[in-house]
Amino acid sequence: MELKDKLRILADSAKYDASCSSSGSNRAFKSGIGSTAIAGICHSFASDGRCISLLKILLTNSCIFDCKYCPNRRSNDIERAMLTATELCNITINFYRRNYIEGLFLSSGIIKNPDYTMERMIEAISMLRNKYHFNGYIHAKAIPGASEELLKKLGLLVDRMSANIELPTDEGLKLLAPNKDSHKVTQIMRYVKKEHSKNFAPAGQSTQMIIGATKESDYDVMLRSSSLYDNYKLKRVFYSAYIPVNKDNTLPTLIKPPLKRENRLYQADWLLRFYGFKVEDLLNNDKPNFNLLVDPKTEWALLHLEEFPKEINKCSYYELLKIPGIGTKSARRIIASRRQFKLDFSDLSRMGVVMKRAKYFITCSDRYMINPQFINRNFIETNLILDEHLKQESNNRYNQLELFHE
Amino acid sequence: MNNKVYTYDGTYPSLISLICYLFHNNIKPDDIRVDGYNPTLFETTIDLHIEKNEKDIIYILKKYGTHINSFIFKVFLSHDSKRELVIYYFLLNANKYGANVINMRNLRCVCKTLELARYVNNEAHKLKGFVRFQELANHILYAKISPVNDVLPLLSEHFKKRLNSEYWVIDDEGRSLVSIYDKKNYYIIEKSELKMDLENISDDENEISAMWCSFYETIGIKERENHRCRMNFMPKRYWKYMTEMSDECEKGN
Repeated sequence: MELKDKLRILADSAKYDASCSSSGSNRAFKSGIGSTAIAGICHSFASDGRCISLLKILLTNSCIFDCKYCPNRRSNDIERAMLTATELCNITINFYRRNYIEGLFLSSGIIKNPDYTMERMIEAISMLRNKYHFNGYIHAKAIPGASEELLKKLGLLVDRMSANIELPTDEGLKLLAPNKDSHKVTQIMRYVKKEHSKNFAPAGQSTQMIIGATKESDYDVMLRSSSLYDNYKLKRVFYSAYIPVNKDNTLPTLIKPPLKRENRLYQADWLLRFYGFKVEDLLNNDKPNFNLLVDPKTEWALLHLEEFPKEINKCSYYELLKIPGIGTKSARRIIASRRQFKLDFSDLSRMGVVMKRAKYFITCSDRYMINPQFINRNFIETNLILDEHLKQESNNRYNQLELFHE
Repeated sequence: MNNKVYTYDGTYPSLISLICYLFHNNIKPDDIRVDGYNPTLFETTIDLHIEKNEKDIIYILKKYGTHINSFIFKVFLSHDSKRELVIYYFLLNANKYGANVINMRNLRCVCKTLELARYVNNEAHKLKGFVRFQELANHILYAKISPVNDVLPLLSEHFKKRLNSEYWVIDDEGRSLVSIYDKKNYYIIEKSELKMDLENISDDENEISAMWCSFYETIGIKERENHRCRMNFMPKRYWKYMTEMSDECEKGN
């Protein structure tokens, strides 16, 4: 089989992994090739709009497991391939030199047993680091069930190590991935958390959950995420809208992947990590799912109108963050600027505040931007939803005219 | 009355020296432009022939620190026709308010400084990813760009660290400038001064770019296709030089 075909087969099998970030690692200059950037760099964007930063690939797509949602499950009749360590190193270095990629994302189907698979991955990565002197970013998937000795070896070679939890609850996992055991995944997470240092997976660990394959609510998903962040110090939890690649009577038959839901979960995830929100602020048993029409923060603000309006020139950083339309950047800018002068509405939009949303929830020097008698849930909600609809409509309606028809 | 336009030779140290001179002598310029600027009917150009002086750069650096200086340098790299005047007014206010000036977004010159610096920064960051090198027959890596802002110095600094054991050339086609790196330092020179065969590519170049194209094609998920989202992150003006967006690439697959 030609190398080009192997690359196509193994990239095709790896593409459903959401993580492609190359951030969190800042390696000082070394001899050899490559460096990492703390903020990460996107090198291209695929036709689905997702960032391509790493050469995302499987070492092999042969697998002894039979997970129902997975394109590489044992019982699927698909082309199988395996890369040798030298082939993998050559592709990575050649892509890297041409600035196609920021580094390597290596995962693998499980061949023989977890330890054997991990050894093959370590062999390839260690060749890349030591023989080819590659200093770029490497993200490797740890294989659940592999020994701690191998985890240690891998962790010392890579920037980020991760294991996928796949489904938000253990029942879901039992149903769809009978060969997988969530304890083995959390075991890896616990180990990475314990060993994490500037030499061992300096960019930390992440994980991924599939959304919409089983019947869990957003509340279940967020509870799981929040416990993962608290217990294992994860850098990121990725959410991946379920895309039906296999047919199975335990799997839902969807027409379109739940992309809007995925988007809402990411927004809520940010609220947990950077905005000081708790899961219970956003969801509970009576309201287990997010509203698809407005974002989670606006939804929260509409249910807590008694906390508003907030005075821009006085309220604290975390209070600023609770205002829809204000993010971490604009909040920091507001804090830094208001020490120098009193802010007015016109200053806010220049600082990156989205006034379309923020205007209902703020005052500047005790002045409102809109008549306060209109500030009620119904009015704001209908306006925001209408804004969103009009935006989408205009996106669809106006296309740039072509100068020359073909 | 005629507007006075002061001119300088187009280099960063000269601009800083000129501005320092203007401060010292309490001269308020109506505009500052690069030599060769064509004045309008109401303008007169004045060339003071200020020698560039390293001392001025060091003075500014010590007084305001690296953070503010990097903002000023990035404004200098911007494409804006009033960039010199923005720097003049920014430094004028910095004299008055000190390093805190960077947070005074109610001043127009500060807003403009931050806006231009951010634009330059964003474009440099995007290009750090979007630059595509080709391997030439002599194993030199060669890339073409044509950015809005003059981000070549920022990119060169990045690739000096990243591809430190390679010879590379980055060609800013719009400005006819090239940055060449000799495994130690990079030099930015006029393209006409570069005597090098940039046409012949190495033997396996086509094979590797074809592999990259097929990887790019494969990695997108059909069910999630979203061209508007891709265009937001990767505007079309960068596509011209990107291997995976070229016509040959589409034919190959």
